Amino acid sequence: MSFLAPLFLAGLLAVALPFWLHRLQTQSSDRKPFSSAMLLETTEQQIHVRKQLKYRVLLALRVALLLLVAFAFAKPLWTRPDTLPGPGPEGTHLIVVDTSASMGREGVFDRAIDMARAAIDQAPGGAMLQVVSAANGILLESELSADATSHNAVLDRLAPGTVNLEFGHMMAALDRLAESLPPPVTLHLVSDFQDSGMPVRFADLVSARIETLRPHVVRSETAANWSVQSMRRTANGIDVVINSEGADDAQATVTVELNGVGLGVRQLEAAESAMLSFDNLQLVEGDNRIAVRIEAGDGLAIDNSRFDVIENQPPASIPLITFNQGGLPVTYLTAALQADPNGAYDVELAVIGDFDARTLPRYRWVIVDDIGTVPAEMEAELSAFVENGGNILAFAGQRTATTTRIPVTGNAVEAASLGVATNRFLSIGRVDSGHPALAATEGWYNVNLTQTIPIRVTTDDQVLVRLENDEAFMFERRIGQGRVLVVAGGLENEWNDLPIRPVFVSFVVEAARYLSGATDISRTFTAGASLPLTLVGGVSGQVIDPDGETVLSLADTTRAQQVRLDKIGFYEVYTSQGNYLVAVNVDPRESDPAVASPEVLNRWAEAMGGQSSPQVTTTIAEDAKPVELWHLLLLILALVLMGESVLGNWHLAPRTSRQSA
Amino acid sequence: MASLRSKESTARALLHPEVLSGLKNLDLVARSVVEGFLIGLHRSPKFGFSQEFAEYRSYTEGDDPRFIDWNVFARSEKMYIKRFLGETNSHLMLLLDASASMGFGGPPVTKLRYAQYLAASLAYLASRQHDAVGVMVFDEEVRDYRAPSSRAGKLQSVLHCIDSAEARTGTKFDKPFDKFREQVMRRGLVAVISDFYCDIESLLEGVRPLAWQGQDVVLFQILDAQELDPEFRTNVLLEDLETGEAVEVAPQFMRDEYPQRIRSHIDDLARAASGIGADHVLVKTSDSLDEALRNYLLFRQRRQ
Repeated sequence: MSFLAPLFLAGLLAVALPFWLHRLQTQSSDRKPFSSAMLLETTEQQIHVRKQLKYRVLLALRVALLLLVAFAFAKPLWTRPDTLPGPGPEGTHLIVVDTSASMGREGVFDRAIDMARAAIDQAPGGAMLQVVSAANGILLESELSADATSHNAVLDRLAPGTVNLEFGHMMAALDRLAESLPPPVTLHLVSDFQDSGMPVRFADLVSARIETLRPHVVRSETAANWSVQSMRRTANGIDVVINSEGADDAQATVTVELNGVGLGVRQLEAAESAMLSFDNLQLVEGDNRIAVRIEAGDGLAIDNSRFDVIENQPPASIPLITFNQGGLPVTYLTAALQADPNGAYDVELAVIGDFDARTLPRYRWVIVDDIGTVPAEMEAELSAFVENGGNILAFAGQRTATTTRIPVTGNAVEAASLGVATNRFLSIGRVDSGHPALAATEGWYNVNLTQTIPIRVTTDDQVLVRLENDEAFMFERRIGQGRVLVVAGGLENEWNDLPIRPVFVSFVVEAARYLSGATDISRTFTAGASLPLTLVGGVSGQVIDPDGETVLSLADTTRAQQVRLDKIGFYEVYTSQGNYLVAVNVDPRESDPAVASPEVLNRWAEAMGGQSSPQVTTTIAEDAKPVELWHLLLLILALVLMGESVLGNWHLAPRTSRQSA
Repeated sequence: MASLRSKESTARALLHPEVLSGLKNLDLVARSVVEGFLIGLHRSPKFGFSQEFAEYRSYTEGDDPRFIDWNVFARSEKMYIKRFLGETNSHLMLLLDASASMGFGGPPVTKLRYAQYLAASLAYLASRQHDAVGVMVFDEEVRDYRAPSSRAGKLQSVLHCIDSAEARTGTKFDKPFDKFREQVMRRGLVAVISDFYCDIESLLEGVRPLAWQGQDVVLFQILDAQELDPEFRTNVLLEDLETGEAVEVAPQFMRDEYPQRIRSHIDDLARAASGIGADHVLVKTSDSLDEALRNYLLFRQRRQ
C-alpha cells in the first residue's frame, strides 16, 4: 500500500484529542473519595464499568473517525496483483527435470519423465503445479496451474540437452522463482544427481523459500561408457585421450578426421584411459577442423566425439622502416618479434629510400626504429596509412633528437638537444598496466635510461609510461581510425638498457598483438558457453551452427553481443574482420558416472525441510494496477460518523435528563 | 448556681467541633477545650484534678525547684516538694496519624483536624499537670517529631508540630513505633490517634513491644459518621484516598453489609488492644471533645 499525499498522515496526531477528552470525562464521573477501601466489596452490577466500556466504544468510534479522515486525505493506493493465482492451502509443487547431457544415458530420461509424471499425479488436489527444466539454467516449461493434463503434455516435449547442470546455480534460480509462487513450495527434483554437479558449499543447495525437497533419483542401467576426454596439439600431430568406464570386455573404434578427411582409425581395448597419437597432419591454410569419434555400444553417446580447431595462419609481414638496416634497433626488434610463441610475424626490412610507401595499405601495422628519419613524403604516406586504420610503433632515436617535432603525430620536441640525465640513470615512474600493450608486461621499473627525448604530450595523447621526473616515455595517439605508439627514446645502447631487458620482448610481442588487432578468442568451447562477438571483430556478423543454420536474425547481426553455443560441433563465425571456426564439445564432467551419495541427498532434503517457515512475499505482476481506496474510506467514514452520532447522543440523553430533573 | 450552669453550658458548647472549627489558633482551641472541660469537672470531684494538694515529699536532685515549698524551708530549713492530686511528673507521647485517609470527613471538620484538636487538648491538659509532652506525626514515614519535655515553651513547639500536620500518602505503624522505642526510653503514656485502617495484627506487632517496655498505650480511633453509617442511594465509585483504588459499591451493601464490617473491625481492634493491656477509645468527629478527654483522664487515673 502506498499514499499519494502522505503528508496528510500527520493528521493522525489528532487522535490524541478524543483520548484526552475521554480521559477528562472518565475522571469526572461519579467517583467519590473514601477513607479506605479495605472494608468495601465490589458490587456485581458494575454500572460504572459498563459506562466506561460504553465510553470506550465511543472513543474507538471517534478515533476511527479521525483515522479514516487522515487516511482518506492521504489517498491510499493498493496495488493488487492481477495475474498471480491466489495461494491455495496445498501450495505449489515444482516439477524440475534435469535435462543435462548426462541424462541422455540409455533409458535414463524416459524413467525421469515417468517419475515426473508420477509426481504430478500424486500432487494433492488443488495444488498449483509448474514444470521446469534445469540444465545450464532453468526454463519454465509450463504455466503455473492445477491442471495436471497440460503439465503431462509438456513432459512429452522434454529431451536431454548438451550442457551440464550445476545444482548450486539451479537452486539459486529456483529460489528466485519460488518468491513469486504461492507458498508452501514443494520441489520435486528428477535427476541423476551427478556428483560433479554438486557445489563446493553445501549451503548453496538450500533455499529459504522452498519448504520441501523431494529428490527423485534416476540411475542408469548401462554402466559402460566411452568418452573422449581431451585432445592436444603436438609438433607433428595430435594426442587424443580416451576414457572408458565400466566397459571391461568391450572394444571401441576411434576415428580421427581432419577437415572431413579420415586421418586414422584405431581399435581400442577397454581400459581406464588411453592416449592415442595421430601424426602427419596436412593442415590447410586457415582454420582446420579436427573431429575425434568413438564407435562403441555404450550408454552415453554424446561424449563419444570431440571437436577442435587448429589455426594455421601464415606469418604476417611487418615492415620495419629504418635508415640503418645494420643498426642495433633492427636486430633487437627482429629478435623480439621472432620470439612470438605463435610465430605470427615475419619482419620485412624497409630501408628508407628504397621502401615504396605506397605499399603501406597492404600491412596492418609497421615499425619505425627512429621516427625522426622519416622524410616528408613518407610522413604523408604514413599519416594517410594511420588515418585509414593502420598502426605504427615508433621509437624516437638519434635523428628525432635533432628535430623540433615528431613526424606523423606532430608532438613538439621540447629541447633541441638530447635530454641527458646528468649524474645518474633515469628510471620509470609509472606504467599504465591497464593498456593492452602493457597488461602482460613486467619489469619496467628495472629499466635504466641514460638519455630520453622530452616530448610535449597533448590532451590527445594517452601517456602509457612516465619517467620518474613525470616526463612521458611512451604515449599513444589516435589519428583517424589508426593509432601511433611512440617511445621517447632510441634502442641503441647509449639511450637505455631496455632492449636487453626481458620486458622488451614481452612489450614488443604484446604491442604487435595489440597493433595487429589480434584477439585472445578461444576456438574451443564447452556446450552452454557464450561466444562474445565483440571480441572477434565487432558485432556485425553471422554465426552458422553445426547443423548449418544461421543463429542470428538479420537484426541481431548488427547488435548481438554474444551467441550461446548449445550444439556440439563446429560453429562458423563470419565478421567484418574475418571468418573463423569455433569448436563446441560436451562438458567432460557429464561423462563422470559418480553420483551424489544417499547421505548427501538425505542431508539436502533435511536441510530444506528443516527450514523455518519460509518468508514468501507475493510479487507484483507487471500489469498490476493500483486501486485508489479513498472512496471506500469515505463510505466507512460515513458509517462510523453515524455510529458515533447515535452512541454519543445516547450517552448524552440520560445526563441531560438528570440535569433537568 | 444558675450562673455556674450557664458557665458550664458555655464551656461545653466550646467543646463541639463545629464551634472549634471557627478557631484558627490551635493553642486557643486547646486552651478552650481544656478550660471548658475542667469547669465541667468541678461537679464530679471523684476525678480529683491536679490543683488539689496531696502531700509533701523530700526534694531530690532533678526535681523542679519551682515546686519547692519555701515556707516550709523557712521554718525547718528542709526542702520539700508540694504534690497535688493527679500530678505524677509522668510524660505523654502523642502519635498522630497524618495519612491520607485521615483527610476524610466533614463538615465541619475532617478526621485529621479533629485529631489535631484532640492531640492539642491532650498536650495542653498534660502540660497543666506538669507532664512532659512530646509528639510524633507520621504517615508511611515519621514526618515530624518533638521529644517529650516539660520545659516552659515546649508546649508551643508541640502545638505547632500538631498544627502543621497534613494528610498525605498511606499508613504504616512500624516506623513510628520503631522510632518511638529508639527515642523514648522512659515509661509514660502513649496516645495513638488514628483511624486505624490497617491490618490489626501488624498494628499489634508495633504496639506490643511498647506494652512490654512498660508504656501505657491508649488508641484513639477517630472515625467520621459517614464511615460508620454511610448513606448512598445509587451505585457509587468509591476511591481509596490512600491507594487510589476505585471500588464500585451498591447502596444495599453500604446500608447492610458495610456497617457490620466496620463494627467488626472496631471490635477486633478493641479486643486486640485489651489483649496487650492497651486502651481503645472510639471517637466520632461529630462528638464533643470532653468525652475523649474524660476517657483519657480515666485511663491516666487507672495507670497511677
